[in-house]
Amino acid sequence: MSQIETFYDVMRRQGITRRSFMKYCSLTAAALGLSPSFVPKIAHAMETKPRTPVIWVHGLECTCCSESFIRSAHPLAKDVVLSMISLDYDDTLMAAAGHAAEAAFEETIQKYKGNYILAVEGNPPLNEDGMFCISGGKPFVEKLKHAAKDAKAVISWGACASYGCVQAAKPNPTQATPVHKVITDKPIIKVPGCPPIAEVMTGVITYMLTFDRMPELDRQGRPAMFYGQRIHDKCYRRPHFDAGQFVEAWDDENARKGYCLYKMGCKGPTTYNACSTMRWNDGVSFPIQSGHGCIGCSEDGFWDQGSFYDRVTDLTQFGVEANADKIGLTAAGAVGAGVAAHAAITALKAAQKKTQSTKEEA
Amino acid sequence: MSDTSLIVGPFNRVEGDLEIRLDVADGRVTAAYANSPLFRGFERILLGKPPTEALTITPRICGICSISQSVAAARALADAAGVTPSVEGEKIAVLMHAVENLADHITHFHLFFMPDFTRPIYQGRGWYNKAVERFTAMQGSGLRAATDARARLFHIVGLLGGKWPHTLAIQPGGATKAPTSRDKIRIATDLKTFRRYLETQLFGAPLEAFVNLSTVAELDSWATGDVGLFLQIANDLGLNEAGRGEGRYLSFGAYPSASGPMFKQGTWANGARGDFDPALIREDLSHAWMLGDTAHPTRGQTLPDEDMGEDGYSWCKAPRLNDEVFETGALARQIVDGHPLAVALAQEASVRARIFGRVLEVARTQIALERHVAQIDPSQSFMEPVVIPDDGEGSGLVEAARGALGHWVQFRGGEITSYQIIAPTTWNFSPRDSNGVPGPVEAALVGAPVGEGEDTPISVQHIVRSFDPCMVCTVH
Repeated sequence: MSQIETFYDVMRRQGITRRSFMKYCSLTAAALGLSPSFVPKIAHAMETKPRTPVIWVHGLECTCCSESFIRSAHPLAKDVVLSMISLDYDDTLMAAAGHAAEAAFEETIQKYKGNYILAVEGNPPLNEDGMFCISGGKPFVEKLKHAAKDAKAVISWGACASYGCVQAAKPNPTQATPVHKVITDKPIIKVPGCPPIAEVMTGVITYMLTFDRMPELDRQGRPAMFYGQRIHDKCYRRPHFDAGQFVEAWDDENARKGYCLYKMGCKGPTTYNACSTMRWNDGVSFPIQSGHGCIGCSEDGFWDQGSFYDRVTDLTQFGVEANADKIGLTAAGAVGAGVAAHAAITALKAAQKKTQSTKEEA
Repeated sequence: MSDTSLIVGPFNRVEGDLEIRLDVADGRVTAAYANSPLFRGFERILLGKPPTEALTITPRICGICSISQSVAAARALADAAGVTPSVEGEKIAVLMHAVENLADHITHFHLFFMPDFTRPIYQGRGWYNKAVERFTAMQGSGLRAATDARARLFHIVGLLGGKWPHTLAIQPGGATKAPTSRDKIRIATDLKTFRRYLETQLFGAPLEAFVNLSTVAELDSWATGDVGLFLQIANDLGLNEAGRGEGRYLSFGAYPSASGPMFKQGTWANGARGDFDPALIREDLSHAWMLGDTAHPTRGQTLPDEDMGEDGYSWCKAPRLNDEVFETGALARQIVDGHPLAVALAQEASVRARIFGRVLEVARTQIALERHVAQIDPSQSFMEPVVIPDDGEGSGLVEAARGALGHWVQFRGGEITSYQIIAPTTWNFSPRDSNGVPGPVEAALVGAPVGEGEDTPISVQHIVRSFDPCMVCTVH
């Protein structure tokens, strides 16, 4: 087998200068929250380690993750990441089509057996033997299993791959199923969100390619560095929540003043994601800043939790303020506590889901 | 060469999954069958949910035209509630929607369409090296410039909608974001940046010069920018003859305002403009894996035929207007709106015409948006109060980048009882109807050359991609 190139080789071949390469290494360190002393380590790793190939496949989905990914903020980071993973196989972006593409897929798997990362966008629908998503004449679930068999690790991009997303909403006509329920024998990292923030995606993939291991995960299998805190914890409207100042109707006087959107159904208090810190579209804004509450798209089951415009107080037992304050305090205390509080909420949600389904059966 | 049957697919570089079966005789396609192999069942998922959920769920049909879905859902609910959105709020929705459509056109041209001309089969052509330099998938200088310009343009949607894709800010009463005067300036600056990209890279000349073209002869002398390069390629390969359509076009009319839509509503058939009557739309299920009868979307159902019955070959229904096939998209929009260059290309109805319809629209939209932003008045209200009644029905007809998009909703007792969506690619990639009449892309493929031993015919790639298919929207 021929020697696999290093990342550095690939980047140079793509016309990226040494200077840009070093800049990229510092950017990466900064994005991952590492100290400047890591810059030479990253550079060294990229100069000496063989490139990790990436296969990117698409199941039942809307391609919003790819859309998010290709307009990642730092043009440099995006260029570099795109060229270094060079997406050995990507349904949406690659040049080949048809049989040539299928052949490229097979060849990549064979060539890099046991060595590549499988990035999955979307999920397999299992109903009717998988006939609702056919790729290359076969149900997508077969393609997925086939590609996962020899993968080193699997990345589940977005809410679809991680949890099922809206296509899994009741009655889930196609039985859309998250990746980890189908692939059970590989390390899986979930990067949920609909879509995930572009910089989170490049951050995760850069980390894995650079250090050749998974970042630290929370109990749900999400990278803790991006999903360790609630939107609510870092929301710029938080002072208005604490002061009891709320928007009562769209574009009312309070909305103009930038009051809290909690009463408009904002799910920021129960959603773990980096929107309020990293923000969207090159950091210009995020949903709450545009005057609409968070819908919690990075949480499991966000699509079946009652109306997107209902307050989260639907979770009974906690009083409104008790809920927010209690959880706020523990989360501020330690990440571990934050995770525990989160687990409690998830359990509650699960309980709520059960009641709902019983109701339906009745 | 004997008669053969080819299955072409999966098509990469399209949004979603697509397979096309071709009957080939004597080196030409004699019949084509478009199959959309992906079904998710959004119309079923929406049943029983509160009507406002559609605002969050329907945009997730598609990650590339999610604002179009969002606007259609908001319009359908506003229609059901009998509310006219606030004038200023509508301007925000129009701005976000138009920006998304602009970005989609750019994505299509650079990321999805042009890379096919860098295939080795074209080695030796006069333009080949230039095409490779500009359009090699994921690496060409043109692609890089386009993705960068597109990301910057999306600052506008980020600012107004909080995030893209899957923005939440567009509501039946208007928009949740009331921009300040400072925001207006930022938006104008972002647009200016985008114009610079268009004028230096895509057109290589002032936009106004392109918009002022009115005949094919004038177009033929355009030599600058990526558009000039495409023209050279198109004329060398005879793309003005490839993928000829029937010349019947439909547009729901794009970007409403107090003084009427920016691009008019209507049809075009037999060389003449006509009025559009939404009551004449029918969805034919004869060749779809769907159960039920041909019906208007207000009475339509989505019942997948799990036996995948014999006559069917796609999850896609076949929409028809007054029993006739219509093509939809940027070219259709520009023809119906009456732009002279588009009208001049109406009969040609080729791969080349579709691409020029799109770039013409890019130039016109950019110019219109610059004026549009100046008219936003931050002191006004951006949201009309809306009470969604318990019972109601309504429709939202908009123009997505790829053409006419319609949502039809009905609800009783606060729960959705019917939600039907016809997406642009449902029109363009529809299967045959009960009269056996093929859909637009199926018809356009007939006659396409298939070289000896070509199992992924290049001509088919160009023709299919000239429609800019969005398969995830098609079946949803």
